[in-house]
Amino acid sequence: MRQVRRLSAVSPEAAKLGLYVGQKATDAMALVPELTTAEAEPDADALALTALVDWCVRFSPAVAADRPDGLFLDISGVAHLWGGEAELMADFRDRLAGAGLPFRLAIADTPGAAWALAHFGRDGTIARPNGQAELIQSLPPAALRLDPEAAAQIERLGLRRLGQLMEIPRAPLGRRFGARTLERLDQALGRSPEALAFRRPPTPWVARLAFFEPISAPEDMERVTQDVAAKLCARLEAESHGGRRFEIAFHRVDGKALTLAVGLSLAGRDARRIARLFQPKLETVDPGFGIESVTLAAYAVEPVGGRQTRIDAGLDAAVEDGLAPLVDRLANRLGPCAVWRAVPAESHVPELAVEREPAILHRAAERGGGGPRNAVEGAWGAPETKARPWDREAPRPVRLFRRPEPLEQVVALLPDDPPVQFRWRGRLHRVQRAEGPERIGEEWWKADIGDVSVDHVRDYYRVEDAEGGRFWLFRAGLYSGEAGPKWWLHGLFA
Amino acid sequence: MSDFRGMRLAAMRAKIAAIESGGRTDVGVLPFGDLGMDGRLPGGGLPLGRWHEITGAGLEAETSAAPAAFAALAAAPLARKGEAVWVMRRDDLWAPGLAGLGFPSERLIQVCARDEAETLSVMEDALATVGVTAVFGEVEAVGLTAGRRLQLACEKRGATGFVIKRRPFGGTAKTEAAGSVSATRWRIASAPSEPPAGEFGLGAPRFRVALERCRGGRSGEWILEADRAYSWEAGDVAHPLRLVADLGDRELAPAQPAVRRAA
Repeated sequence: MRQVRRLSAVSPEAAKLGLYVGQKATDAMALVPELTTAEAEPDADALALTALVDWCVRFSPAVAADRPDGLFLDISGVAHLWGGEAELMADFRDRLAGAGLPFRLAIADTPGAAWALAHFGRDGTIARPNGQAELIQSLPPAALRLDPEAAAQIERLGLRRLGQLMEIPRAPLGRRFGARTLERLDQALGRSPEALAFRRPPTPWVARLAFFEPISAPEDMERVTQDVAAKLCARLEAESHGGRRFEIAFHRVDGKALTLAVGLSLAGRDARRIARLFQPKLETVDPGFGIESVTLAAYAVEPVGGRQTRIDAGLDAAVEDGLAPLVDRLANRLGPCAVWRAVPAESHVPELAVEREPAILHRAAERGGGGPRNAVEGAWGAPETKARPWDREAPRPVRLFRRPEPLEQVVALLPDDPPVQFRWRGRLHRVQRAEGPERIGEEWWKADIGDVSVDHVRDYYRVEDAEGGRFWLFRAGLYSGEAGPKWWLHGLFA
Repeated sequence: MSDFRGMRLAAMRAKIAAIESGGRTDVGVLPFGDLGMDGRLPGGGLPLGRWHEITGAGLEAETSAAPAAFAALAAAPLARKGEAVWVMRRDDLWAPGLAGLGFPSERLIQVCARDEAETLSVMEDALATVGVTAVFGEVEAVGLTAGRRLQLACEKRGATGFVIKRRPFGGTAKTEAAGSVSATRWRIASAPSEPPAGEFGLGAPRFRVALERCRGGRSGEWILEADRAYSWEAGDVAHPLRLVADLGDRELAPAQPAVRRAA
């Protein structure tokens, strides 16, 4: 195929001069010698569209990008916030125009009809419920979002309006123009559903606050966070649900939306708690020239039972009361990896024998009515693949170094004897008592057979020096050759 | 005669303790199980609802194995009653070792903080949480204000704090604040173990434990042994520490120089 430069977009002025999308650039230059062209940047366009999608969340939580240059907003149930679909569209129009974007808008029952009206109908059409069929009757077949060849084929057969296409019986239509045409027609008319790929999973759990005056003071942002959380949580409370992840978006005057997210380890709907989790992060939000609205969305929403009222608020408190908020606060502040419970893992290699598990597992929430203690034990104690607990009778150190530290001047009398002295961190330790060796090999069944070596065997000794210090050291590999094996300190006993 | 004097002293101590506690209810004590040792502590055991300072000596100020083990052992009965939180900056605490000592490691939430101030604030947060009975924190130094804040957090729910003095990444020691509001200060070092006669290897872990400062009590020095450590009944005893030897009352015998040399 020859490399031909074509126009991928034309300005309104250029369109008036007779230029069109898809025209060869050389032809266009011949027609309009003073034409200014710029390289098309599809990637940048896609990024800009994504930003626009994020911005549109202020109108509806469910926004889907229609590449390369369209947007779908699912405004079911949100139009009343503006006072009606027309008002919503007017606000949308003002804001888009303010941003200097060219656009065409339409509202219809189905994404297909709305697309057709926006692209080929009158700008700003609002189809009344179930009224899209008559509106799209007069549109050309290309309005069905077909590929250009299929649309051209239909037109070549004399079917210049969708109305004509609708009159043809379904079976011949499908046979003649393909199932795709039939599907698109059905989607436009609402006879078959269409799934849009929304930018973020649509959640019905959204609360929104708009302000008469843009706000920017930190204390104001704190207050609106509390207010919007209270608004959402009141709804969650009323319907006995709780969310596990909350995302707040601050919509700035200049059209940028700044989002913050917090997670809970157990689904919750305590507005004060959620607002407090956001609070330390609020200072990272740059309000710019002001924030004009704020939305809070709850994700991973699940039914949560009624509020627990306890009379015996003793030491044995429920997880939901004390521990879960604490873990949430810490995990949101320090990062989710900084708070953990150590649980046994099925391995004899010391550094692999411990796994980190979230401090409160989600499972704990699902066990209702078992009492608080059971809930905690259920959280860590009964995973599906339960590893055996650590062997209490095998002495293991309290401190285990992430990297074993090398030992010098190690003297061992016989090959399998524990050392009688070693130097660690510049101090010579004389061993008084010792236990061992405990031979720990590598997990050869996991490694490639060629990588398995006798040098990977570790012989661990537990030794005590003259002052009572107890060490866990090991010899890497066996004695062979002139250079003796290396000794390492892996941990410290109490 | 002397008994009468002792009773009056005890009554006076109780009065002072009541004034010090500022009217809040006493959460109780955790006895070590030895009369001589518990007698030195106010109320006959390790005071709960307070925070305790545990230091090591020499290299232990960096590695902090014996102090951590002692704290875990002393708090094991507490941790069995609720949740425990261990706040640290260097995450080299190893749960299998704690389990071997008899500490309920499944009740332990570990938190890795980024700096000193964060460690203290996480400790404070955890101490004030319902259901948490013991909070451990590895800190270089606790200033007066931070100490007071910890104390207030302890009083909220009656949780007990254990501040393990540690410089996790080495470096020069900070200058210590002149005073401290901790209830007790302990200095822990490992002591040579003594296996039963005729047995090879190491005996049960032993600690040289010095109670350096104690509000409303007296200091002392002992050798304690975790005699059930690394056995199948490690977690099943009332208190995992057992007194082996009383090294004397340091107040009464100040002439004896401290000859401790830590490992």
